[in-house]
Amino acid sequence: MNSAVIPTLVEDYYGDDKWMCMHKRFLMEAEEREPEVVLIGDFTIAMLAHTEVWEKYFVSMHCLNFGISEDKTQNVLWRIENGEIETMNPKIIVLSVGANNYENTAQEVVEGVRACVTAIRSYHNSAEIVVLKLFPCGQYPNPVREKINQINSLLEAELKASPNIQVVNLDPGFVQTDGTINHHDLYDYKHLTRRAYMQAFSPLSDLIQQLIRELTLPQAETPTLPDE
Amino acid sequence: MNSAAIPALVEDCYGDDRWMCMHKRFLIEAKEREPEVVLIGDFTVAMLSHTEVWEKYFVSMHCLNFGISEDKTQNVLWRIENGEVEFMNPKVIILSVGANNYENTAKEVVEGIHACLTAIRSYHPKAQIVVLKLFPCGQHLNPVREKINQINNLLEAQVKSLSNIQVVNLDPGFVQTDGTINHHDLYDYQHLTRTAYMQAFRPLSDLIQQLIREITLAVVETPTLPDE
Ligand SMILES: [Ca+2]
Repeated sequence: MNSAVIPTLVEDYYGDDKWMCMHKRFLMEAEEREPEVVLIGDFTIAMLAHTEVWEKYFVSMHCLNFGISEDKTQNVLWRIENGEIETMNPKIIVLSVGANNYENTAQEVVEGVRACVTAIRSYHNSAEIVVLKLFPCGQYPNPVREKINQINSLLEAELKASPNIQVVNLDPGFVQTDGTINHHDLYDYKHLTRRAYMQAFSPLSDLIQQLIRELTLPQAETPTLPDE
Repeated sequence: MNSAAIPALVEDCYGDDRWMCMHKRFLIEAKEREPEVVLIGDFTVAMLSHTEVWEKYFVSMHCLNFGISEDKTQNVLWRIENGEVEFMNPKVIILSVGANNYENTAKEVVEGIHACLTAIRSYHPKAQIVVLKLFPCGQHLNPVREKINQINNLLEAQVKSLSNIQVVNLDPGFVQTDGTINHHDLYDYQHLTRTAYMQAFRPLSDLIQQLIREITLAVVETPTLPDE
């Protein structure tokens, strides 16, 4: 049994009910707003909302951010299957998850990511799905970083061929030539600094704008240029 | 046996060695730089260094930030007892810890904080120590928030009277009149947004500057005003 693919809500261990409150807030935002772009996932998505690159490039694109820092694939899967993206009609959905699935193998994590993609696809047939490769971690080379490399290779191999799905590597090269990661990029060797977010996620905003243009153009042009 | 007051390093559960790498980096920074102010603790301290209030008001005061997000009192205690504040001569030390000690009672958490203070004091008999009260959590009223209130009351009662130690409440009122916390202040109902950091920590920078002025004045004035 692969825990990464079984939709699981996060139990309220401590009694502050944080996770469920966030989920309910996302449900409200999903119904109230009409996002063109939805980002869903773990800390990579959640922390993005507190950066300059978000304020500068993403807010104006009508993006919703459904990131919960500690989520694993099975938690994001539960949120997808429980209404967070059901009641909207986004053009693009960005998924970044798997980095917290420490207890799963690379293959299991990729199955978890794929389960999320399948669930998204079941609600949104023709939306463009962008799956982010995981960022490296640890100051020095280490087993977790190696597993992340495996996950990224498997994502590339197994998902890239699917229609309307892109697997994107946003890592501008956080691992330096000596194999170390600098804390000016990943301050705790796992989470990106605001500067690193600017570097890594500006290209994603370019990609999203390009995808939106492409999705908008064919509808406008098809009648006048049927042969193209 | 109170786990909160027994120094404990964080085991490398996942194999990426992140915690120890951060600790070693702090040791290097402690030796290389001559901070006037050191902040040590958990996520409240760690995330502060990624905010405008830090860049604008703290950096210029020669502050070092030794925050590790997931740390409990016993982990900060371990770091204090293993060199992070030993090889420096700071005027002011800020401590913010206890918010991650879910498994401990309020009284145990305060004993853990007390143990941190005693350890700091053993290296720096004359430094001013500022202990931050914990921020509230959860969207709605909940048991964790109540425990935080108890912790804060106990800190006030037990720690405030110690010499050269201040217990400071930086919460500008994140709990609204209906008892809820807004995600524009605490985005996941635990961690402060950048605007909330500006609001809450600006007064701390004022306090630190005031303390530094008083300490500097006292040194200058003591010889000329021996009767005071
Ligand atoms: Ca965290």
